[in-house]
Amino acid sequence: MSSSVKKIKAKKRIDKIKPRALFESWREISLILAAETSLKEIIKKSLRVACQAISGKYAAIMFESKGHLRIAADYGFPVDYTEYIAKEQREGRITIALEESPSGIAFQEGKQVITKNVYTDPRWTKLCYVGKRYGYGSLVYTPLKIKKEPIGLILVYKEKTYKTEEEAFPKAEQEFLVTIARPIAVAIENIRLYEKLKEMNETLAQRVSERTKELEREKEELEKTREATLNILQDVEEAKVMAEIERNKTLTIINNFTDGLLVTDNENKISLINPRVEKIFNIKNSDIVGKIIAELGVFSSLNPLINLLAREDRKDKEIFREEIKINGEETSEVSVVPMISGKEQVGALIILHDITREKMIERMKTEFVSLAAHQLRTPLSAIKWTLRMLLDGDLGAVTKEQREFIEKTYNSNERMINLINDLLDVTRIEEGRYLYKPVMTAIEPVAQFVINSYKDEAEKRKLIFELKKPEKELPKTVMDVEKIRLALQNLLDNAVRYTSAGGKITVSLEYLKNEIEISVSDTGVGIPNDQQKRIFTKFFRASNVLRMDTEGSGLGLFIAKNIIEAHGGRIWFKSEEGRGTTFSFTIPVREEFKEFLKEF
Amino acid sequence: MAKKILLVEDEEVMINLLQKKLIKDGYEVLIARDGREGLRKMKEIKPDLVLLDIIMPAMGGFEVMEEKNKNLELREIPVIIISNSGQPVEIDRAQKLGVKDWLIKTEFDPQEVADKVVKQIGK
Repeated sequence: MSSSVKKIKAKKRIDKIKPRALFESWREISLILAAETSLKEIIKKSLRVACQAISGKYAAIMFESKGHLRIAADYGFPVDYTEYIAKEQREGRITIALEESPSGIAFQEGKQVITKNVYTDPRWTKLCYVGKRYGYGSLVYTPLKIKKEPIGLILVYKEKTYKTEEEAFPKAEQEFLVTIARPIAVAIENIRLYEKLKEMNETLAQRVSERTKELEREKEELEKTREATLNILQDVEEAKVMAEIERNKTLTIINNFTDGLLVTDNENKISLINPRVEKIFNIKNSDIVGKIIAELGVFSSLNPLINLLAREDRKDKEIFREEIKINGEETSEVSVVPMISGKEQVGALIILHDITREKMIERMKTEFVSLAAHQLRTPLSAIKWTLRMLLDGDLGAVTKEQREFIEKTYNSNERMINLINDLLDVTRIEEGRYLYKPVMTAIEPVAQFVINSYKDEAEKRKLIFELKKPEKELPKTVMDVEKIRLALQNLLDNAVRYTSAGGKITVSLEYLKNEIEISVSDTGVGIPNDQQKRIFTKFFRASNVLRMDTEGSGLGLFIAKNIIEAHGGRIWFKSEEGRGTTFSFTIPVREEFKEFLKEF
Repeated sequence: MAKKILLVEDEEVMINLLQKKLIKDGYEVLIARDGREGLRKMKEIKPDLVLLDIIMPAMGGFEVMEEKNKNLELREIPVIIISNSGQPVEIDRAQKLGVKDWLIKTEFDPQEVADKVVKQIGK
């Protein structure tokens, strides 16, 4: 083909461009842009219209991302070319550096660039084989710009190669592409913004929804909590009702209790009293509840109780029990019981038990025994004196045989007198009027006196007697000498009586811290194990001594114990049956003795 | 002349026994069977010694002592109490009233009473 012919052909082709058709295409694109909201659709449809409008073979769109241009979509690419591009792009080979390529120049400079012949364009040499393989010879790059800023490129490919740019893409086609590039760019940008907004909106919506869900969950939680709370409240309500029932029960018991009940809190304020207390003290509930006991002295009937509660010795005792006289007539046994919750004392319960009747019976019994004992003594002394005078020959001579009988009778009478004396002692102990004469004295002469009185008896029974005492003189202390003598006498009496011939009796005196300890040891029969607990009980006599001797009253140790305890001392023993017994007691060393009774 | 002892006692056996014992020992013994009689005889005979029981009909031993102490003439006559009882409180009271001794009948015998009498007023 001659060059002139070629020129004519080119001219013909240029002439074939119909402005009317291009306008129609522009209009079509405008409609697409107006109607479509999907970026994918806009690009796809715009590329098709643009490609067809200028008789291109393919069309594509490139977008810039991080300094590189990538083909984002195409129109008419053969499948293997798309795959090739995708692969190359994926592997980072086909990405186009902005400066080196026609697309880069078009994007950088924001102007249309035309490659009329991919084989001759120096910017294309490296890639010309690609065009050959996929069947295109020329192409035009038209930038997509927003306010002069390029965002991408529209590429239109033609199959053939041309000698001039004008020939490849005539002016009208160039202008057409520039014209449609602007609204496409705007549309793309708008859609991008819209998508972004939508995304933002969606994110927001998602967040809102998430938050809503969260709130929902929280609400559910709250609901559950509320339900749980309601359940608890219901339980509490039930417990309250139960407590109320219990309380009413307890109150009923307290109110109908025959003993007087006072409850104090930890500040010694009265928190509760029952009707019995009102009656006992002749006071009103409202007079004393909420007040401190010690400050209720205005109610004279309460004074004995106030004095009792103020006593210091009360504090060491777990349960304090004492008798008081109320209104000078009735006797109440007062028990003070601490109320303990956990480890803390939350108050005290004071119980008043009326023992007036018991006291009266006790007193009558005591009076009876006392009177009976006195009455018994009179004939006994008459018998004693008569027998004595008979024995002394004051009533005339008696035969030897008569004398023997009279002597035996005299001894029986003496035993009777001793029994009566013991009974009288017990009676007085029970009346609480036993100790009488406190004097400051040394114990040693008292002990010596008692021991001396047993000397004859010991010799007669062939017993060895020993008194052990410390080198240092024992301190004096307050005691009722007669009673201490009696206590020691009772212990020695047992030792002498229940130790067989050849045995040994040791009395030891010792000064310990603030007290004198006195022990009476024997090598006698001992106290059977099973009976040791009852040894200080009134009228009790151990089985082994009961067989040996019928004389004892069973009162000696009871009396001794009471005497020692009235002095503030202690009495105890150690014993082994068949080996011997040691009774020990203490007398505290002190100068005054408040507990001594002044009258009886 | 024998010394006069007034025995104020309501128990017949005791009277008999003591009387016998004291007469044997050389004393003149006069008897009163209750406190009132005792007080009257004290004024009449002015004894050298009074043996006085405590629990008696009409007038007890303590009342006798109180009345006796009011009478200047009788006041100095020594008194020994002989009683079935012997509570410390009673002994104390008796001492305050000026009695010389106290004997509990069950714990003493007639010989010991006689000894106490000798101790007070001699033979």
